[in-house]
Amino acid sequence: MKNHLTENELIEYRFRLSSEEQQSTSSEHLTGCAECREHLEQLIKKFAALDLLREDAHVPEALISEVLEQAGKPVQRKVVPFHKSPWMGAVAAAVVACFVLLMSNLNTDKSTQRPFAREPKSEDRIISNESGAKGKAQADSPMTMVAQDTDAKTKIAAATESAQGEAATRIVTKETSQRTPLTAGRARDIAAVEASIAPTSKPIPEQPPFAPASAIELVTLPRRDKVQLTIYNSADLTLVRERRNLTLKKGWNWLQFMWANTLIDPTSLSLEPLEQAGKIDIQQLVFPARLRELGRWLIRSEISGQVPFEITYFTSGLSWRAFYMGTLSQDEKTMKMQGYVRLGNNSGEDYDNAQTRLIVGQVHILDEIAQLARRQYPYDRPELGIVHDESLGERAAEITNGAVTLQYGWAAQSLDVLGPKDIKKEGLSEYFLYTIEGTETIPNEWGKRLLSLEVEDIAVESLYKYDEERWGNQAIRFVKFANDEKHNLGQTPIPNGDVKIYSNADEQGYLSYVGGTDIKYIPVDEKVELNLGPARLVEIAPKLIDFKTENYIFDNRADVSGWDEIRTWKIEITNTRTLPIQIEITRGFGTAYWTLQSEIPYEKYDATHARFKLELEPRSKQTLEYTVRTYHGTREESLTQ
Amino acid sequence: MESITSMENTDKSLIDAHRRGDPAAFGELVRRYGDNVLGYLIRMSGNREQAEDLFQETFKRVHEKAHTFHGPQFKGWLFKIATRVTLDGLRRGKRTKTVSLNQQLDCDNPNSEQLDAVALADNSCNPSEQALKAEQAEQVRRAIELLPARQRATLVLAYYQQLSYPDVAEVLGCSVGTVKTQMFRALKTLSHKLPEI
Repeated sequence: MKNHLTENELIEYRFRLSSEEQQSTSSEHLTGCAECREHLEQLIKKFAALDLLREDAHVPEALISEVLEQAGKPVQRKVVPFHKSPWMGAVAAAVVACFVLLMSNLNTDKSTQRPFAREPKSEDRIISNESGAKGKAQADSPMTMVAQDTDAKTKIAAATESAQGEAATRIVTKETSQRTPLTAGRARDIAAVEASIAPTSKPIPEQPPFAPASAIELVTLPRRDKVQLTIYNSADLTLVRERRNLTLKKGWNWLQFMWANTLIDPTSLSLEPLEQAGKIDIQQLVFPARLRELGRWLIRSEISGQVPFEITYFTSGLSWRAFYMGTLSQDEKTMKMQGYVRLGNNSGEDYDNAQTRLIVGQVHILDEIAQLARRQYPYDRPELGIVHDESLGERAAEITNGAVTLQYGWAAQSLDVLGPKDIKKEGLSEYFLYTIEGTETIPNEWGKRLLSLEVEDIAVESLYKYDEERWGNQAIRFVKFANDEKHNLGQTPIPNGDVKIYSNADEQGYLSYVGGTDIKYIPVDEKVELNLGPARLVEIAPKLIDFKTENYIFDNRADVSGWDEIRTWKIEITNTRTLPIQIEITRGFGTAYWTLQSEIPYEKYDATHARFKLELEPRSKQTLEYTVRTYHGTREESLTQ
Repeated sequence: MESITSMENTDKSLIDAHRRGDPAAFGELVRRYGDNVLGYLIRMSGNREQAEDLFQETFKRVHEKAHTFHGPQFKGWLFKIATRVTLDGLRRGKRTKTVSLNQQLDCDNPNSEQLDAVALADNSCNPSEQALKAEQAEQVRRAIELLPARQRATLVLAYYQQLSYPDVAEVLGCSVGTVKTQMFRALKTLSHKLPEI
């Protein structure tokens, strides 16, 4: 018979890795060789361990829904960069030019056509800008882009209709140069709306134009340049600060802000210019009637051109929480600590490249931001103010706003009854701010885990505690350290969160789970004790060895009025660990009148408790014996004397 | 054999319907292969949370690349994408040095998914046996996780997903010989690391 099959050959045979010929040769050999068959069986048995991971995974319905929802969004398609193919830009420009001319011929009289048609140079410039813009546009929202093209054409037509060719040319130039970078936010746009068209040389009219009722005059669609999120974990509250470059014309400008399908609190909206503040005046924010989920700012500008603005608002739906993983060294004298932050975004808005700051501390707010965001009208029904539509004047309706009942029409009620929205701020100085380095992109409905802290060699003390009144008949394991420089920490407070502690089980780096707990906010220089739960390898067995009473005192009626109780306890402590341990044993006596005798020193922990501190060698036993005398009734006086 | 053919045809018709914009067709594909793909991704990444992220990414790519599918076998194409996503994801994971908290067997947590899985696999009510099985499963998981990514992918596809070697070769984009070599190396390594059961 041929030599026995090697382990390699057996593996190849078992998993059909060899050729057909080799398989049949091995099969024949196995038929006649009991030793190899046994070897093969052992091998099969060994590889049967692989079946321990054979359990089926089931996809949760929520995950399937997420996938399907994601699939429901428009597919990201590449946009052909026109600037790389000049001929395509030229073709596109020609098409747009033809369309513009066609529209102006169809919709305008001759007098309005002429000035516009007489400006071929500016028109050429517009078209080339527009085609160049497409090339630079982000490809993440093709539907939005198409919509914008349509808008642009409509706007061109509308501008022509206005019979002010010069101004119309200027608008188109502006819109095509600004429209390019689309915001990634799917639900919200920001747009400057021009209500009147005035040459830059003319003086600014004193009266602002009335807010336009439609969005047909959309001029700019700027993207966010920067966004900063400040997320409060104690409340469902996030402060968003966005920086956008808006293009203003000299005069009155309307800026439109939409928050459909998001959780933005419209009452918190604020807009500030970051430059040229003296020349730009933010006059008011209005919420037009019948147009839901949008607001418009009225801006008076003494300059025309691009100005960076900061828009701030509160939103709900963004959250964060911290959690930690500690890895004890084999001698349990040091610990490696890794802290993570998990960010979640259910705000309805994608935040790209956001600088993220996390706030630790309690914030008290009067209103739920999410409810404010979902209200039909930001400050209640618009008819509450002075309504100019007389058809509404006679129509009485009741609006309940708390206990106040108001009526529509000229008999308008003061808005004061609504009261200003208030956000209380308490103890700001006690908050702590964590800023995540760099920027993060947090799409809507996504979570993200970030490493926030990684510290090696934190000196720790392992400590066991035994206190029947608190934890019953079991020792509890603690790990102690401090949030200070001595422990390689102390740079910042540590936010509250869950902690899991692992121990290095062997030199290969395998970890074993030791215990978990949650920690509260740990200020700098504060000591920490992590309760890791019951310790199985340290046993405590208290036994009452002796009990007696004595020193009875009788009153005048021969009744017992005072006595002493003497108890002798023996507590056996067993350390089955391979490491030395420290243990604190706390004993309660149920009275403040007690004396204790013990060979092992103790400290009076409080009026009714004594505490023993012991150290045990690895795999050792120690016995703690003490006798406690408690004084009762009139005998208590003898102790105080 | 008929059933396989009809399944392939159905897959093909579903992907065609999806391309035509039928959202129900894509849902059907996700449901049909979801468990298989998630199981594969969990074994590849060793981490359910990461696997779910990869799962989303896989089907996102399937959705986006549906127009590029021309082959007869959807499952192979799907696993090809899943493998690419996983290998990319694992490479990224290495760069950022993230440590999964879920990788460790949470023996003290009665809600631990791993313990649940073992308990389901083994109907024994003996807690010590359960704990032992859980520990052994953890050893197997660690041993598989230590394999190089290509070997791991080969093992998981061939052994757990029960793909034939030519199918694995198709998924991994290599020859059958290479697949067999990778498989042999993986098994050889595991033979020293698997626990006795």
